[in-house]
Amino acid sequence: MAGLFTADVENRGLVLDPRTKLAVVITLVVFALGGTGSYIKAVQWGTIVLSIIPILLLFTAKQWKKGLILGGIFSAMKISQLLLITKLNSPLLSLLGICCMVFVRLMPGLIMGAYMLSSTTVSEFIAAMHRMHIPQQITIPLSVMFRFFPTVFEEISMINTAMKMRDIRIGGKNSSKLIEYRLVPLMVCSVNIGSELSAAALTRGLGTKVKRTNICRIGFHLPDIVIFAALLALYLLWILGMIGVVK
Amino acid sequence: MKDTAVSLRNVSFRYSNGDKGVLDSVGLEIKRGECVLLCGSSGCGKTTVTRSINGLMPHYYEGNSEGEVEVFGRNIKDTPIEDLAGTVGSVFQNPRRQFFCVDTTAEIAFGCENMGLPENEILRRLNSTVSEMHIENLLERSIFNLSGGEKQKIACAGVSAMLPDLIVLDEPTSNLDLDAVYELRSIMKLWKEQGKTIVIAEHRLGWLRGLCDRIVYLDNGRIVKEFSGSEFFGLDNTEINALGLRALNMKSNYMDLPKGLTEIKKCGTSGVLTVENFTYSYGGRNALNIKKLDIPKGSVTAIVGHNGAGKSTFTKCLCGLLKGFRGRVVSDRKPLRPKDMMKLSYMVMQDVNHQLFAETVLEEAMLGADDSDEPKALELLTKLEIAEYKDRHPMSLSGGQKQRTAIASALMAGKKLLVFDEPTSGLDFSSMKCTSELIHSLGEDVTVMIVTHDMELIESCCTHVLHIENGTIE
Repeated sequence: MAGLFTADVENRGLVLDPRTKLAVVITLVVFALGGTGSYIKAVQWGTIVLSIIPILLLFTAKQWKKGLILGGIFSAMKISQLLLITKLNSPLLSLLGICCMVFVRLMPGLIMGAYMLSSTTVSEFIAAMHRMHIPQQITIPLSVMFRFFPTVFEEISMINTAMKMRDIRIGGKNSSKLIEYRLVPLMVCSVNIGSELSAAALTRGLGTKVKRTNICRIGFHLPDIVIFAALLALYLLWILGMIGVVK
Repeated sequence: MKDTAVSLRNVSFRYSNGDKGVLDSVGLEIKRGECVLLCGSSGCGKTTVTRSINGLMPHYYEGNSEGEVEVFGRNIKDTPIEDLAGTVGSVFQNPRRQFFCVDTTAEIAFGCENMGLPENEILRRLNSTVSEMHIENLLERSIFNLSGGEKQKIACAGVSAMLPDLIVLDEPTSNLDLDAVYELRSIMKLWKEQGKTIVIAEHRLGWLRGLCDRIVYLDNGRIVKEFSGSEFFGLDNTEINALGLRALNMKSNYMDLPKGLTEIKKCGTSGVLTVENFTYSYGGRNALNIKKLDIPKGSVTAIVGHNGAGKSTFTKCLCGLLKGFRGRVVSDRKPLRPKDMMKLSYMVMQDVNHQLFAETVLEEAMLGADDSDEPKALELLTKLEIAEYKDRHPMSLSGGQKQRTAIASALMAGKKLLVFDEPTSGLDFSSMKCTSELIHSLGEDVTVMIVTHDMELIESCCTHVLHIENGTIE
């Protein structure tokens, strides 16, 4: 999970507004995970289309391998669910049921969530929060926290290298102290970095009383509109299904 | 008074956490448009002076402070740091640790955004700063894909965009190679032409020739001497070293040596480590391609080359740390696998904090050894002059002592190849000398490789120079 808000701006393919991504995540939770309106045929098909969106987004970000594997798993599970579930008896049925629960209902939401975090920059995040009228007192500490993650991961990888060279590993003489050995240098380094980082941020005026501007250009473009239209259509199908217009 | 940019009157400061760098009744007047260099050995208080000007002291670093600091007539004590943002700009030592955003454009705009300037104004400033500094190619890039020098340029641009009248730099070149240093120089020249006042605290001095109007020499928290630019840069190396400062210019530039291995000093050797067909590619690019290289055992080899030349890739391959590299190392006709190399070698990292794990110095040295080896460990600690600290926590030691502790642990584990990554970056003359003597004292049993830009260190302790460019030595 080293990808929290550290989007590679040079190479991330389709740029969506952070709010669009958030809307997709929420809709996935409602329909795919929550199974809302699954008794309506049209909503069922709509949910399949919705579940494919995160996989398509992976392709636009040139993550071919990940997209192919996850897309393959999803389609295999969905097809076997549609074809086999009525023909199986109890032990196999419950096995398939668990697999479907994980890969068909849970996984698309997880992919979308991971994609949302890893394809958004800190400044886009702040801008989106600002547009949604969330106060600065919440967004600034959050953004500092997100800024800190990649650095901590970098530190961890260096400490791991150092431990490898010292031959400190599971099964070695010092395996009981593995966690302590890792935490002490990590904490010392993190404290140092944190204090330098905040000193630098202060000298650049973070935390002044004036209202912060944000030059980050976020906004709804054609892809956002297409996705929002699709999401809206799904909600509409569900409502129409409930009042009995579609089946 | 209108001509005064900064005035320090009788300033004394003592950090409450006991850090070095106290000030003892310092008085200093800096005129508008002046470029002042603060120099002196480590812990002389030059960084503290910069902090007193940008407000980090006493607002961020706590301690006992006396005296008055005024910047353009504003009393620092009564002005919160963040309100100084448009007046005083600061560039720090470690470019990795002063960034807030993950993409360069947002980073340059960050300061202006905090000041709450209107969007159009920010974009205007962004564009003019970028074209002044000729960094169009660095826009819209990910911070994580930049070199140290490029990061430092972005930091300067971010400061510049806020249009401060005074810019404070605290050891900005510690992590930069020579090319990047000269690019920083041209940025400072630009600032000077724009009439900005510049205060810089530095160890590396040569590149500031012709840039600084006045040089302030500090010792033990006091201003001991002031020089004019021509006076100071006319001093010869012996006089400079006597002040505890790094050389102004070096007789030899080892980067001019031909690619490959060159012997610069005799050393008694007993066999060679042969590197054969080292190749490593990274993201589809050939990062390393070395057909054959004989490293004399017991030598001290400096590895030089421009940033991104493959120096650290080479040393990582040598230590068996990279997965997916090809090639092998042969010692006394015996081929060694990456796993064997990892057993044999040890890298002393630039930030030693990453590799000290134990609770005491002695325990640290004993980590990889049997309990019966304690006398041997104590002997080694005595040899490395850290025996008196054997019961202290390694993290409570000074940088040089930590470095020694790391070396002790490596030698106890029977490592025969020690790799140092920039061991003297940001060190003053006497600390550099200490490191150099330490490397000397390791003896012929251990082969040492040092990745470094420090020509003075190479001159004082290396026997060979390995020049790598573009991942090859041909």
